[in-house]
Amino acid sequence: MVVQRRGLRDKYCIVGVGETEYSRASNRTTRAMAVEAVRAAILDAGLTARDVDGMLDYQSGDSTLANHVASDLGIRLNFYMDVVGGGSSTEALIGLAMGAIEGGMCDTVAIYRSMNGYSEFRIGGTGARAAQPVRGLDLAQIPFGMRSAGQNFAPTFMRHMYEYGTTSEQVAHVKVAHSKHASQNPKALLKERVTVQDVVGSRWIVKPLHLLDCCLETDNATCLIVTSAERARDLKGRPVYVMGVAGRVSKPRLDFHWAHGPITRVAGYYAKDIVFGQAGIGPEDVDVTGSYDAFTFTTMLQLEEYGFCEKGEGGRYVSSGIIELGGRRPNNTAGGHLCEGYTHGMSMVIENVRQLRGTVDDYCPRAAEGVHTHDYAPGRCRQVKDAGIAMNLGWAIPATGSALILRR
Amino acid sequence: MPQPVQYRGMSLIVPDNDTEWMEFYAHARAHRLMVRACAACGLLRYPPTHACPWCMDLGWAWREVSGRGTIYSYEIVHHAIQPGFKELTPYPVVLVELDEQRGTPTPDEALRIIGDLLKPDLTPEAEANVAIGKRVRVIFQDLADHMALPQFTLAAEPPAGRVWQLPG
Repeated sequence: MVVQRRGLRDKYCIVGVGETEYSRASNRTTRAMAVEAVRAAILDAGLTARDVDGMLDYQSGDSTLANHVASDLGIRLNFYMDVVGGGSSTEALIGLAMGAIEGGMCDTVAIYRSMNGYSEFRIGGTGARAAQPVRGLDLAQIPFGMRSAGQNFAPTFMRHMYEYGTTSEQVAHVKVAHSKHASQNPKALLKERVTVQDVVGSRWIVKPLHLLDCCLETDNATCLIVTSAERARDLKGRPVYVMGVAGRVSKPRLDFHWAHGPITRVAGYYAKDIVFGQAGIGPEDVDVTGSYDAFTFTTMLQLEEYGFCEKGEGGRYVSSGIIELGGRRPNNTAGGHLCEGYTHGMSMVIENVRQLRGTVDDYCPRAAEGVHTHDYAPGRCRQVKDAGIAMNLGWAIPATGSALILRR
Repeated sequence: MPQPVQYRGMSLIVPDNDTEWMEFYAHARAHRLMVRACAACGLLRYPPTHACPWCMDLGWAWREVSGRGTIYSYEIVHHAIQPGFKELTPYPVVLVELDEQRGTPTPDEALRIIGDLLKPDLTPEAEANVAIGKRVRVIFQDLADHMALPQFTLAAEPPAGRVWQLPG
């Protein structure tokens, strides 16, 4: 049963994507990286600085503001906003960009995230972040040695294993699949394929997470360009249409989400009707997913919560081969945060845009022209054949998430 | 404003205007686990906040709870992030479901609280003894004249429901 929800289906497009390299030593500022990524996305769209008049970015006190980035590129803005946020911001800001354009505030919006997540402000919470004073709501967790994302999420993962019998080996298949995909991605930080045994044999970080259940702290900047379908018609590239978007949808008691169980329920439970309702499709219609893989478990939890399998069946689903290239519905085909590099979600939307355009940047010699072999051996192709609809499942915390459905 | 409390390399800051936490910690220093009870609907809430999340009423009173509960979930930290916790690894952190207000006002809701699972001497409990379903009770770790952390220790009681521990 599909219910059409009022939205802006097919009226807005992503017309350009860009990024810097993924590294652990960018040796430049977030400002310089943002400028490179935004410039790359503008050029990818076939636009000039004059054509972009809106800018959105997200960060947590670790990056450069839009007014600097726009100025460096000679962009005069009719709308901009710097948003505090990490994961799940990408999809939410695409929705906000659509709203700003729909409201007549601007015409074309560049959305970026720039972070020296390894060399400057470590995303894992070590270094400067571990020394920050603790006050307010943080007093409910941080004094107990619960500071990093993995430490914050682990009780959710553990309870899922208790309630549904999910195993470490099942969830390890997420890393296995994403490493397979990264081996087809020249940009990926980790291109080596791993096995389930590699994952469960790696050292413990915070049980139930092994080292290889965790993503990679990365230096990187990424950008997307959003404009109206009308404007997109004049551009050189193939636009990708937004069918539905849900931004920062939350569980009750966001101050302390443990208070409102079941704690194994994640925000997708509330987001799925919004995003599928706008798009007028269901999970079975989706060809490619990008499910935020801060950890192997986050991908699994979201895929089941959005209905790609029954609740509690996520362990079996991700270990069935479905999420691998060549499977029915591959997930994170560029390798995701576990293998390509960590971007707070932006890279997974970029990858889905490229999948729908048919131009993923794999090792196929004529990839940019859309010529692919669909041979998923290491170091070859990662283009999904005839990808028509792609979905992104963005994760912030178990209790907050965003979602996006795109079509060719 | 009271001086920040230094604990394991962290500055714990409770400014004068943060009456929610200041009073919570003052009660904890007297070794009483107190939560706020809504003056209108009577429901208990944790952490201490300004309005009732069920009826939005601004009236409240501190109410003592037993500090007895069940481990609802847990984690074992092997790789500490905060420098002051590195010497404690591996240490368990527990999500405790308190006995008061379980399944209220809806079946999925409860008074849950995060703490370390410690032995009575305040050192981390051995990993082998940590499991979902085990019974715990609150103990207090004094940090300063005006602040103590509520922590948990295993209670000598039969478990509540199925006992489960991460295999391996």
